[in-house]
Amino acid sequence: MYRYDEFDHALVRERVEEFRDQVARRVSGSLTEDQFKPLRLMNGVYLQLHAYMLRVAVPYGTMNSRQMRQLAHIARTYDKGYGHFTTRTNIQFNWPALSDLPAILEDLAEVEMHAIQTSGNCIRNVTTDVFAGAADEEIEDPRPWAEILRQWSTIHPEFSFLPRKFKIAVIGGAKDRAAIRTHDVGLQIVRGDDGRTAFRVFVGGGQGRLPHIAQEIAAAVPGTELLAYLTAILRAWNLLGRRDNIHKARIKILVASLGIDAFREEVDRHFATLRQQDLRIPQAEVDRIQAYFAPPPFEALPRVSAPFDRAVLADPDFARWNRNNVRRHRTPGYASAIISLKAPGEVPGDITDAQMERVADLAERFSFDEVRAAYEQNLVLPHVRLDDLPTVWRALAEVGLGTPNADLATDVIACPGLDYCSLANARSIPVAQALSRRLADLDYQERVGPVRINMSGCINACGHHHVGHIGVLGVDRRGEEYYQITVGGSPDDQAALGEIVGRSLPADDVAPAIGRALDRYLEIRSEGERFIDTVRRVGPEPFATAIYEVQDAVA
Amino acid sequence: MKIITANRLTDGRVIYVDDAGEATTELLRASQIADEAADERLALARSRPALFVNPCLVEVVDGHPSGRDRLKETIRANGPTVGNSHAWSGT
Repeated sequence: MYRYDEFDHALVRERVEEFRDQVARRVSGSLTEDQFKPLRLMNGVYLQLHAYMLRVAVPYGTMNSRQMRQLAHIARTYDKGYGHFTTRTNIQFNWPALSDLPAILEDLAEVEMHAIQTSGNCIRNVTTDVFAGAADEEIEDPRPWAEILRQWSTIHPEFSFLPRKFKIAVIGGAKDRAAIRTHDVGLQIVRGDDGRTAFRVFVGGGQGRLPHIAQEIAAAVPGTELLAYLTAILRAWNLLGRRDNIHKARIKILVASLGIDAFREEVDRHFATLRQQDLRIPQAEVDRIQAYFAPPPFEALPRVSAPFDRAVLADPDFARWNRNNVRRHRTPGYASAIISLKAPGEVPGDITDAQMERVADLAERFSFDEVRAAYEQNLVLPHVRLDDLPTVWRALAEVGLGTPNADLATDVIACPGLDYCSLANARSIPVAQALSRRLADLDYQERVGPVRINMSGCINACGHHHVGHIGVLGVDRRGEEYYQITVGGSPDDQAALGEIVGRSLPADDVAPAIGRALDRYLEIRSEGERFIDTVRRVGPEPFATAIYEVQDAVA
Repeated sequence: MKIITANRLTDGRVIYVDDAGEATTELLRASQIADEAADERLALARSRPALFVNPCLVEVVDGHPSGRDRLKETIRANGPTVGNSHAWSGT
């Protein structure tokens, strides 16, 4: 993985000292809250319902064991013993004191981490495929390009005061596991006509109040010109975007209002100039960054593993975890293991300091010192020998991290909601927990198979409800929490927004309603169809009927 | 009736203005203010930015949050309703 050079170290250390001074001036009263707010936001510090919240960047979701142990230390020392992984593969701490924040940032800098650009109107942490470098269908590892984007965008003067935040995701092939079409810019690596790395570029995606699926703006931008092309996109938006209305300031609104063709013309006009300038990425620099992401020293192993096969036969619990949480690896004898942060009744994405320590130990011993954060609020050990999977599973299960529900109905994405967030209208965590309890039967979950259920506590959609196969949006109705259900959304290469199926439901009715929708799917699915396949074939209507049938019967 | 709530500067914790105009972390000790005096008391809280961050008025009935922000203010007063911080509520 990437290691800081002297410039990275200096930049982060300078930022820590700068923020230390800003905090001291705020505490002494020489800065007002209005003056301090933009400064703290530039360092990932929010003021939420109960306390300050610190959002730490995990660039493209990759961490080593030392970093994970430092996060555990921060959780233990400065917070309440846990952290919360987010849908942008960052980690949030919910309870730090303002006066402790400089020390926390100093601890992060020690392990080459920071909180820069995790909030504010700038280019945010770039995300990617959680299985990058391990999946067998990718054209090229997207992480070096994510790192190039990180370096280019960090404290970029032209892009530090954008109309609104700007999110980029990059994937290494056609299979989309990073929801790129829900981003302001989504990048998909393709092969150019010359056989070299190029990028299919999507623009104008986003969720929130006015959701849009990103549209293709370029089929194959050469890798060497990627920064020039992205600069052209950002410049076009920076000049034409709406700064007068926060709800219309995102690039998705500009792209939708101009139309993709007119927006493309604007971008091409800037690109014609920019591609002649010094924004070309030298091949030597690409090579240098790619070297950091060279494959780890995999052993030459057979495709099968006797210890693994024995464990599958001997232990049905391991067999179930293997079925649901283990993914194929491109290297024979290895696999990627998903660590579910969705144990029954727990908070989606939360992880305790002791669990972080255990994950760090396992990453160090069994996964070439690497652990990834997935946008679905889980973790992944990307490179585990099949031989070691039983040991890894037992060690995870001992600390409550062995839940075998990856991509199943209880693998729910949920934002912090009104339990923490000052923007929320309704709670999302208790609704996710109620669903987790109701659908706890793993045999049932496996019968249903993969289904993405996403929940947000407000229209800002941090819980990605628009692109859940089933989405749940908390709304406020005269001071009471109600929940609107959508069906048919999809975050992947067939990205789609869900359709609202009817009136909103009270909290207690949400889990039973979703249960009925899943039961209806089991009744009507064709052979081999996943939930989303059935929705695409029959539309949302049968599910809407199931969701409301009890209420309608009573009414 | 109204009360005034804010976040404490040093750690962001939920606080209220008590009868002496000082900060308390306990909702039950928040000063109950008649509607007509609320704006004046809020201005006083705003004049102490080193203590009260983002002070605002909350409607109360019998000392408990009511109206549009009832749920949000109840959660602010008692802590998260679920999860890893549940047992820490109010600290």
